Amino acid sequence: MPSFIEALKSQVGRKFLTGITGLLLVFFIIFHLMGNLAIFGEPNAMNEYSKFLHSLGPLLWVARAGLIIAFILHAWIGISIWWNKRKARPQKYKVYSSKGGPSKQSLSSRSMAFTGIVLLVFVVIHVNTFALGDTETITVAGEQYSDLKQLVIDTFANSALYTFGYTIVMILLGTHLGHGIWSAFVSLTMRSKKTSAIVYTVGAIFAVLLAVGFLFIPLYIYFAGGCEAALISCN
Amino acid sequence: MKLDSQEPSGPLEDKWNNHLQDIKLVSPNNKRKYNIIVVGTGLAGASAAASLAELGYNVKSFCILDSARRAHSIAAQGGINAAKNYPNDGDSVWRLFYDTIKGGDYRSRESNVYRLAQNSNEIIDQAVAQGVPFAREYGGLLDNRSFGGAQVSRTFYARGQTGQQLLMGAYQAMMKEVHSGKIEYYPRHEMLDLVMIDGKARGIITRDLVKGEINKFEADAVVLCTGGYGNVFYLSTNAKNSNVTAAWRCHKRGAAFANPCYVQIHPTCIPVSGDYQSKLTLMSESLRNDGRVWVPRKKGDDRPPNEIPEDERYYYLEEKYPSFGNLVPRDVASRNAKLVTDDGMGVGETGKAVYLDFRDAIKRDGIDTIRSKYGNLFDMYENIMDENPYEVPMKIFPAVHYTMGGLWVDYNLMSNVPGLFVAGEANFSDHGANRLGASALMQGLSDGYFIIPYTIGNYLADHQPDDLTTDHEAFSEAAKTSEDQLQKLLSIQGDKTIIEFHRELGKIMWDKVGISRSKEGLEEAIEQIRELREEFWTNVRVPGEMTYYNKYLEFALRVADYFELAELMAIDALDREESCGCHLRDEYQSDEGEALRNDEDYSFVSAWEYQGVNGKLKTKLHKENLEFEFVELKQRSYK
Amino acid sequence: MSTMTIHLKIWRQKNANDPGHFEDYTLDEVSEHMSFLEMLDVLNENLIKEGTEPVEFDYDCREGICGSCNLVINGRAHGPKHKTAVCQLHMRNYSDGDTIVIEPPRAAAFPVIKDLVVDRSAFDRIIEAGGYVSVKTGSAPEANLIPIAQDVSNESFDYATCIGCGACVAACPNSSAALFTGAKLAHLNLLPQGQPEREKRTIAMVDQMDKEGFGDCSNHGECEAVCPVGISISAIAEMRKDYLKAVI
Repeated sequence: MPSFIEALKSQVGRKFLTGITGLLLVFFIIFHLMGNLAIFGEPNAMNEYSKFLHSLGPLLWVARAGLIIAFILHAWIGISIWWNKRKARPQKYKVYSSKGGPSKQSLSSRSMAFTGIVLLVFVVIHVNTFALGDTETITVAGEQYSDLKQLVIDTFANSALYTFGYTIVMILLGTHLGHGIWSAFVSLTMRSKKTSAIVYTVGAIFAVLLAVGFLFIPLYIYFAGGCEAALISCN
Repeated sequence: MKLDSQEPSGPLEDKWNNHLQDIKLVSPNNKRKYNIIVVGTGLAGASAAASLAELGYNVKSFCILDSARRAHSIAAQGGINAAKNYPNDGDSVWRLFYDTIKGGDYRSRESNVYRLAQNSNEIIDQAVAQGVPFAREYGGLLDNRSFGGAQVSRTFYARGQTGQQLLMGAYQAMMKEVHSGKIEYYPRHEMLDLVMIDGKARGIITRDLVKGEINKFEADAVVLCTGGYGNVFYLSTNAKNSNVTAAWRCHKRGAAFANPCYVQIHPTCIPVSGDYQSKLTLMSESLRNDGRVWVPRKKGDDRPPNEIPEDERYYYLEEKYPSFGNLVPRDVASRNAKLVTDDGMGVGETGKAVYLDFRDAIKRDGIDTIRSKYGNLFDMYENIMDENPYEVPMKIFPAVHYTMGGLWVDYNLMSNVPGLFVAGEANFSDHGANRLGASALMQGLSDGYFIIPYTIGNYLADHQPDDLTTDHEAFSEAAKTSEDQLQKLLSIQGDKTIIEFHRELGKIMWDKVGISRSKEGLEEAIEQIRELREEFWTNVRVPGEMTYYNKYLEFALRVADYFELAELMAIDALDREESCGCHLRDEYQSDEGEALRNDEDYSFVSAWEYQGVNGKLKTKLHKENLEFEFVELKQRSYK
Repeated sequence: MSTMTIHLKIWRQKNANDPGHFEDYTLDEVSEHMSFLEMLDVLNENLIKEGTEPVEFDYDCREGICGSCNLVINGRAHGPKHKTAVCQLHMRNYSDGDTIVIEPPRAAAFPVIKDLVVDRSAFDRIIEAGGYVSVKTGSAPEANLIPIAQDVSNESFDYATCIGCGACVAACPNSSAALFTGAKLAHLNLLPQGQPEREKRTIAMVDQMDKEGFGDCSNHGECEAVCPVGISISAIAEMRKDYLKAVI
């Protein structure tokens, strides 16, 4: 009988961890997207949301720590799977193609390592730009807020590179989740063929919605022009 | 050579139990001092290796394929018989025994066959406990179906993959013992010779098929479970690697070969389509439960089958055998297929096929019922023939399937060579001149699980473990013989390929030593085999070298042995001047064209002693008389 | 009967240490009724007559049940047809003038022995680790004492039909053996007979699979698509469930 840690290191254990952490990250980005969409709300809604999160204090740190651990584990196992796969087939096929039919192999499933690594790099830049970026402090109705919304608008409105880079990464995120959401459920032992088919479709739709939700914001800001845009009202 | 069948005396139903009480035992502590070699990992080999290892013997298991799990038992489709009488249709051990001995046309030992029927029930218990997923009824209990040659439903089955599932059970049991260390496992090893010391079997010579090396292994007993020799016909339902070499080499070392001419031709196979054909595919006999066999009454009728009206169809089995109909035994069905095609009523491009029609069954039971019963077989047929059997009748023709003959063994399954045991299809013991459907799996497992493990102790108890090693000169002598033969084959570098020779040999055998035989034809066959064999040894081209993986070298070696066996088969068929079971001599038929036995003169087992090959095969016949104390010999009738 | 000309690009490799290379062959008068392996037989006959070494490939039963054959044809294990082993594939699936690339299953756990022949003994070792119900010969109870609901028996059977050919590994982008291992576990773990050893078996077989150097399963599902008997990837989820239950 292996110890619990040994069991987690097995193929099954690692996929279990990948699945759990993956789903956790999906929940996180759903919340993240909801926060982002606040940009279209009341002029100060996004900043209020940000301030609310910061006001959680230790709780926020627990959440952050959890996220960071999940993220690192997910990435680490993902990279190790990619590494194992290279070791497991040192000599590649000259010709290789999927047989179709019940196969779930797709551009999405084949590019998990690539999209994952792009997302990893992206997250570092992303956190650096927004979470650690310089924001101005503004006062609204007697309360002080750091103006995250303005930082977002400025970043995308003024930089084609950032806007389109962000857009591409969000497409890759959608690609990652297209296989990832369903795969996580299979790794977490979903067995029924019927359920599996439903989860696959719902997962793919979800992936598209998340990606579109995320990439709509920078594109809109860039083309519609930040605070002047119809859907955005600034302080 | 002395043949002593070692049959126990007493009432038929008590023979085996009495024997078990009488035979000697090896104590648990002593068992670990004995080494046993098991060659082959089919049902008999895997079950014997597992059971012997469980008892505590040190077992070495050899197989020619890359894994024990691929042995050809895996291809058995239909089922396995047992006398459980679950359907409450009046079955019993006696009936299974009687059907088997009658099906074999009274050319097997009563005592052996009765023991087989007795063991049948335990085999089912064993397999179920191992997790073999036999078909079940809604209530969760085991289901049965009927098979040729029986009027009760006693066949247990696992869809169309019964052999696969039983083999997995035995293979897994064997791998468990590999894990425990009691079995040393040698896949991709081919046995080339039996090593004899002081008149006893004491080891084998093998070739490591990957490295090409010749290896030596010593043992206190050798159990040969290497299957049948149907591939002597080139085209058969046997797997491409099934061969007679191990058994034939034992024969050359002194083991008698019994009834070599008893070859079963299976009636329901997919017909030959061209010269490139490498093997024939069997369609399970269970198809005859619902399919109706027919040919057009008019010779050369080339209308599509569905356009031929009912009254112009000749349901020859139903007409000739009203009580068994399409479920007559295999030999009867095959012979009749040959008769109608010889009469010009055959169908298909070559005229060498008959129809197996499911139209009426589909009308009666619905397409879904038929699909659930035979779906995988129908798919297989459509894949090969490119025709939909739900709509167009299948075309089938007989093909060589199983060999009832094999190395002679006594009641303990020991050959006349002390220490050499033979189990499964490789021995001759239980099926007489014809094997009933669903009996091969039963025999292989009965031998391996429930006979050899007991009877080998009886031999070993009298054989003290010694410190024999493979340094003994008998090993180097045998190894050198094998190596020389391989070198010789490689050195010929003639013009004809191994397959060309094998195909030619097969044609001689099919035409003259096949479904029906005649004195004239057999004499011609013997001449032709000899000539072709001479040519083989001067004109064969074997590619590559012996020091690495070389499949065609393996084939060359096996074909060389077929050439000798083929002659023995023809000699045996010529010697047996009667018809019985699958052995039909044109000269000995009833007015209705049924096989006519001659119990007066031929109620014996022909056991042949090898005396060398020099242009001709020199061989000597020994007879083991068959005594029938408990059954009355009758002309078989399935009418 | 129509015949075709087929161009072949076949992997040739003397032994495990040889780097290997592709060789081109052209075969005329290929009948559409030939099986794929019979087409290779004919090629080999020609090669032998020319005095060159024939192409080695594994085969035995040629009726899709022994699991010996396992070629990767134009990048697909067992060729283009679903639920069909390469020995059951017929040349009517190809057309005159086609070029066919034939490679061995490529996986570190399946080292090449020669040409298209690989060593799949890793599968034996996975079974050896626990793929059985321990029942000594002679100790089994009466068969009908263990009733098994028909649907349970059927589901178990679906997994038991695995022929151990290794196409799942060959086709998996990660060279994972999860389908093979999962199928045997699901076969035995679903049955009442398999319960006493369920946990031990699951842990031992997963552990052995890891040791053999197969890749991880990333749920591509390609294994199910190439499986000649169509075993569902539900087997893998069954394996995961049983493993997690066993270790938690």
